[in-house]
Amino acid sequence: MTTSALQTTDIRVRRPVIPRPLVGLALLLPALAFLVVFLVLPSLILLGYSVLTQNQSGDIGLPLTVGSYERLIFSPAYRRVVMTTLRVAFFTSLFTSLLAYPLAMVIAYGRPLASRITMILVVAPLVVSVIVRTYGWQLVLGNSNTGVLNWILGAMGAGPTPVKVLYTEWAIVIASVHVFLPLMVLPLSASLSRINPSLNEAARMLGAPAWRAFLRITLPLSVPGLIAGLTIVFSLTAASYVTPQMVGGNRGLMLGVLLEQQINTAFDWPMGAAIASVMVAIALFANVGVGWLAERRAAQRLLRSGAK
Amino acid sequence: MAARLSGGGGLVTYAVAAATLVFVVAPLLVVVALSFSEANLAIFPPVGFTTSWYEGVIADEEFQHAFIVSVTLALAATAASFVLGVPAAYALNRWSVPGARAVEAMLLSPFILPILITGLALLQFMAAMRMRDAATNLFVGHVLVTLPYLIRTVTASLKQVDRTLEEAALTLGAPPWKVFWRVTVPQIVPGIAAGCLFAFMVSFDDFPISFWLANAETVPLPIFLHNSMTKIFDPSIAAMSSLMILTGILAVIGLEKLVGLRRAMSV
Repeated sequence: MTTSALQTTDIRVRRPVIPRPLVGLALLLPALAFLVVFLVLPSLILLGYSVLTQNQSGDIGLPLTVGSYERLIFSPAYRRVVMTTLRVAFFTSLFTSLLAYPLAMVIAYGRPLASRITMILVVAPLVVSVIVRTYGWQLVLGNSNTGVLNWILGAMGAGPTPVKVLYTEWAIVIASVHVFLPLMVLPLSASLSRINPSLNEAARMLGAPAWRAFLRITLPLSVPGLIAGLTIVFSLTAASYVTPQMVGGNRGLMLGVLLEQQINTAFDWPMGAAIASVMVAIALFANVGVGWLAERRAAQRLLRSGAK
Repeated sequence: MAARLSGGGGLVTYAVAAATLVFVVAPLLVVVALSFSEANLAIFPPVGFTTSWYEGVIADEEFQHAFIVSVTLALAATAASFVLGVPAAYALNRWSVPGARAVEAMLLSPFILPILITGLALLQFMAAMRMRDAATNLFVGHVLVTLPYLIRTVTASLKQVDRTLEEAALTLGAPPWKVFWRVTVPQIVPGIAAGCLFAFMVSFDDFPISFWLANAETVPLPIFLHNSMTKIFDPSIAAMSSLMILTGILAVIGLEKLVGLRRAMSV
């Protein structure tokens, strides 16, 4: 309720004794204080650690240095991990969006029963722990003829253990697509079901074939959902630990696993903090940067099409 | 609406969607299938049929302990998120709080920050504060990840409340607290319940927070499962995993019954 509405309806609404913003603040304060103390403050301290120096005996302190970041970017071993992380996140986002469209179309436009079944099967894995889902992929991709995939290929006559996928980057991509697919389908189908159906009908009536109506109307209008999904999937994949740790092996070393090694094995807190900061930076760029770019492009399109 | 997925294009869409659903369900089905195998290793194809792995897992005291830790943790985190989140979401949507949008962004920020980092930052902070009690640390960490779910679902429910009903009640002379209790609350209860259920599952399944904050005495179920995977290679791992899949299925049925899945996921 806005203040102007309150002023014009004085007769029926008794004014609260306490000013409304203060009541609102009192209701907000506990949640806000909790987040400031246990999220904002610790995150800033961790960020601070990334520019401190750790001496031989493990004490952390001055002088300030960007040495950890330098090593992360310029040392070939570390840089490879950064590149692997970005590559896996990129391919996961790409394949997730390709697979998500048909599912989202069925949820948004399919027959009620098909839509409902699809929705249930898409959401159900979301509430099953990532550990369990990745374990499933370990069993499916196993590098001997006891893995499901190789067993099937072997049964079809492809010879002994035709494919070795487990403990490669591709295993991480496959399992990550599976883990994050629901997070792409949900915003996409929300976006699709908000499109005015008469736009599509008009295109079809004017003679456009179905694929063309999809490419020129449905696809562009679903971009907000697609961007929301891409953002979530990219940043979560880049920040994941469980999936690369369980199916990535040494060839699929990603930032999350490297972070864990630096903290729990090397006890190098400044380096761990630097890796953490880079991971946060990737997530923030995916969330804030992509949204900003998308808005700019939409504005340009609007300008070019002559709309004011 | 059905007309929009018809003809050749519609068939192709249905076919690709069906194939993708096989991809979605396959790894979970493999886990369930192997949990009944009589073989001593979790390898494909399963042999025979036995429920002995389940009997072994359920009788295992460490598993029981981990299960109790996870359920307690999830209940406590959900309750705390409810107490903190419902008033906050209400204030953001009904009171003119200065800077409401910035505050909302801040309250939802745990969605954006990598949970693995949130857990690490909290571990380091708690160590510096000399907070060594793993149960307390886990509780705080789990509230951090469940709180935004409560705030988001309550906000979504409040936006769907019929404001004219609230205004009608005010016009007829009901005091604001009564309007809230008798008009607003009944409309947002299903949404809040769905939010609580989702928060419970997020905490129950959490790995990246517990990974940093658990110790040898307080081990939540996903951590216990992950530790077991490096030591045990028989189908009892598949049996434990299947029990977690079952909890997930029950949660989805709960969501569908409470508010309908599409509304719960705001699709």
